[in-house]
Amino acid sequence: MQQIRTAFDLVGKARMLSMLLENFLEDMRRQQYLIEREVAQYMAEYENSSQADSIVRLIFRLVSWYVSWKPIAELGLTIHAAYTLAFRTHIFSIFPPSFSRGFKELIASTFSLVSASSPPPWVIPADLPPIDPPPRPDYQLWIACETLGLLERYESLISSVCYEYIEAHVLETCAKKWDEPMLPKLREWMTEKIVPWMIMPYARGARSAEEARAMLQGVGSRFDYHVCKTLCDLRIQEIFDIIIDYPDSQSALQDLKVASSRPGFEDFEMMVNRVRGRIQECLQRVDQRSQLVVNLRKANKKRLLHPGADTKDILTQYVSIIRCLRIIDPPGVLLYKVADPIRKYLRERSDTIRCIVASLVGDGESGDSLVDENEPIQPLQQMQADDFSDPNWEPEPIDAGPDFRTNKPSDVISTLVSIYDSKDLFVKELQVLLTQRLLAVKDGNYERERRNIEILKVRFGEAALQVCEVMLRDMTDSRRIDQHVQAQKSVPLHPTIISRHFWPPLQTNSFTMPGQFRDIQESYAKEFHLFKPDKRLHWLSHLGTIKLDIELQDRTVSAEVPPLEASIVEFFSQKDTWTVDELAAELKSVEKTAIVKALTTWLDLGVLKEEDEDRYKLLEIAEALPSGQKAATRAAADEEAPALAVQQQQAEQMKFIEGMLTNLGALPLARIQTMLKFAPGYDQTIEQLAEFMEAARREGLVIVKDGMWKLCR
Amino acid sequence: MDQIMSSLAPRTGASNKPAAGGSGAASGGSVTKRLQSELMTLMMSASPGISAFPRSDANLYDWVGTIDGPAGTIYSGLKFKISITFPPTYPMSPPTIKFDSACYHPNVDLVGGGICLDILQDKWSAVYSVQTILLSLQSLLGEPNNASPLNPDAAAIWDSPDQFKAQLMKHYRPIVDDAE
Repeated sequence: MQQIRTAFDLVGKARMLSMLLENFLEDMRRQQYLIEREVAQYMAEYENSSQADSIVRLIFRLVSWYVSWKPIAELGLTIHAAYTLAFRTHIFSIFPPSFSRGFKELIASTFSLVSASSPPPWVIPADLPPIDPPPRPDYQLWIACETLGLLERYESLISSVCYEYIEAHVLETCAKKWDEPMLPKLREWMTEKIVPWMIMPYARGARSAEEARAMLQGVGSRFDYHVCKTLCDLRIQEIFDIIIDYPDSQSALQDLKVASSRPGFEDFEMMVNRVRGRIQECLQRVDQRSQLVVNLRKANKKRLLHPGADTKDILTQYVSIIRCLRIIDPPGVLLYKVADPIRKYLRERSDTIRCIVASLVGDGESGDSLVDENEPIQPLQQMQADDFSDPNWEPEPIDAGPDFRTNKPSDVISTLVSIYDSKDLFVKELQVLLTQRLLAVKDGNYERERRNIEILKVRFGEAALQVCEVMLRDMTDSRRIDQHVQAQKSVPLHPTIISRHFWPPLQTNSFTMPGQFRDIQESYAKEFHLFKPDKRLHWLSHLGTIKLDIELQDRTVSAEVPPLEASIVEFFSQKDTWTVDELAAELKSVEKTAIVKALTTWLDLGVLKEEDEDRYKLLEIAEALPSGQKAATRAAADEEAPALAVQQQQAEQMKFIEGMLTNLGALPLARIQTMLKFAPGYDQTIEQLAEFMEAARREGLVIVKDGMWKLCR
Repeated sequence: MDQIMSSLAPRTGASNKPAAGGSGAASGGSVTKRLQSELMTLMMSASPGISAFPRSDANLYDWVGTIDGPAGTIYSGLKFKISITFPPTYPMSPPTIKFDSACYHPNVDLVGGGICLDILQDKWSAVYSVQTILLSLQSLLGEPNNASPLNPDAAAIWDSPDQFKAQLMKHYRPIVDDAE
């Protein structure tokens, strides 16, 4: 050994060392077929078995070749470096393409190696040289890889393995889990699993924990960014369902907000690279946000804005979208972009206004109202110009479009009402709704309505709700007037007196009440006229209820019924048997179907009996009724009358149908449907029309024969 | 049903005056608009015994009408079909109206269905509408203008109702629904 060293010294002194090196490398090149053969052999083995083990063995084998050919250390770094370079160049040149696939597999398997290690992986070896036993199972492998220069060459491959690993984990743990914030958990997982793994490929040389941290900083922030991005992508994919689940999914939204708008190293402070974070923030914000908008719009279009969705559901979802996007993006740029198609669509729906109005007054039947009870009631907000004297003014976000309207933190209702250009429509619909509700109140307690009106006044302003105010006052005035009239002369009648000009048109199929009812009405009208000489009562006999005690031979029946029912039973006090036609003749303007319905009520109560087709007889002595019949007739009688507006539209539709059938003779349904395009605002489908015609047929207005509809004359 | 409808009349059909009001502009769009509004008015007004509707959804200029003979006249209980064709210049020019059902009447051509009515010729004005025409025709049935007859035979026997009725019924054919 000593001799060799002296020999080298001599050669070195003679400046012949470089020649010697060339010779050595030349020799090595000549021997390279040996390595080549082995590489081919191992790779063939891998290609057959697809086991990463072959790659491991190949790597260790190459290391032993490398070590055995290595020139002695005394020759200095230059020679060593030249040797290493030549060796690496050579092995890289002979790796077949399948090597990178195998290597990737191998790296992927190291994740499980880390978790299998028994000593806490945090421990960073105090000194580098191999120690026995190795601190962790994969230690040798990484050292071997480094020796061969594989880590540098395949750096991007290694990080891509890690990216894939992160993606898989995020998808597995976070998909459909919206009820708790996942980001902190993911960070924890990073600390426990990824960071220990990262030490080997990225911070082997570290002598202390601080040094390791410094080395991991850059790559760590990249991986953390990737965690955020993967979570973002996942949440964006799921955004529609997340919104449906709101408010249970609030945590997911928080995640999305943190992950999408911040680099988010709060708990990873050691890795924060501030400048880098800034750049990331901007980049990420812009591209992820547009992704979110595109995705949500697509989902809305596919799942929400189609005829199959209930208007109420669309509104609920819209409100949820408003709330959710406000969490993610307080300035409202995202919301503006997403909401536009929804608003357009809602504008086209005919019952949107009614739905909104119903929720405005907190319609009892619709379980959870769109309006948050806790939200302060504010006047409707109009668009306003930016207040530039505001010291807290902030410019619009960079991705806001030119037509972006800063509807600053306005409340949900303002947003809903702003779907339409004018609020007059709302006020009109509100009146109709109020009419229904006021007339339905029986106990004289209008507090609820008064409260609603007051709330709405704050929103819409006093002037717009003046009419509603009058309607409400009519109700209280009625009671006062009634008290006065009752004081003069006790009458068993308590009318609601409404001012005709301030109420929406009510159904006016009124009729003259027969017998004692008319006497009562007349005497009441007389008293009223004394009290208010300039006013006259016009009875709407079809509205209201009457409490009756019917005294029959063997029993007394008490009932609270609509006036038509009462009138009919009044007729039976004149004679025992009536036919429907006779009753219709007496009541003049009342439809037969209504009469039959009223008769059914009495059948149910066991007061009348249907003798034969359309003939009814008073039962002075009770008879047992088959119970099945009772239930059936009751169900038919309970059908609710459709809302006023719908009725109006249907009446128009019927007019047109009558018009065309009168003039064009019998028509098939399809023809009626196309001809109805002359009716303004007609928007029914042919199925709805079929239903409508069927209803008209039951009412005896039209008949159908061989698919041809014609009028009943 | 009728009651509800008539209650609607003031809302939608409050102005029986035609919308275009005789303005000079007679482009296709405004004619269509005018005809549509007339149809709406006519449908909503529910005048008893008169009715009209476009013959098909493709052509708004061609309507079919139905007139019931006014009660208390010799035509009471009878129904007549008419056809109404609007010129592109409507309402500056009157529509062409013909009886499709044979109508034995002093002012109606029994064969061709032509009608002699001043407001359909020289007395036409743009403020008239389908509805006013139909009402005029209906009253013409009961009160013919025997001074300018299109059907001299009918004019001659107008004063002897029995004979007239016999002639009328000889030519009258009830409208069959299925015959389109």
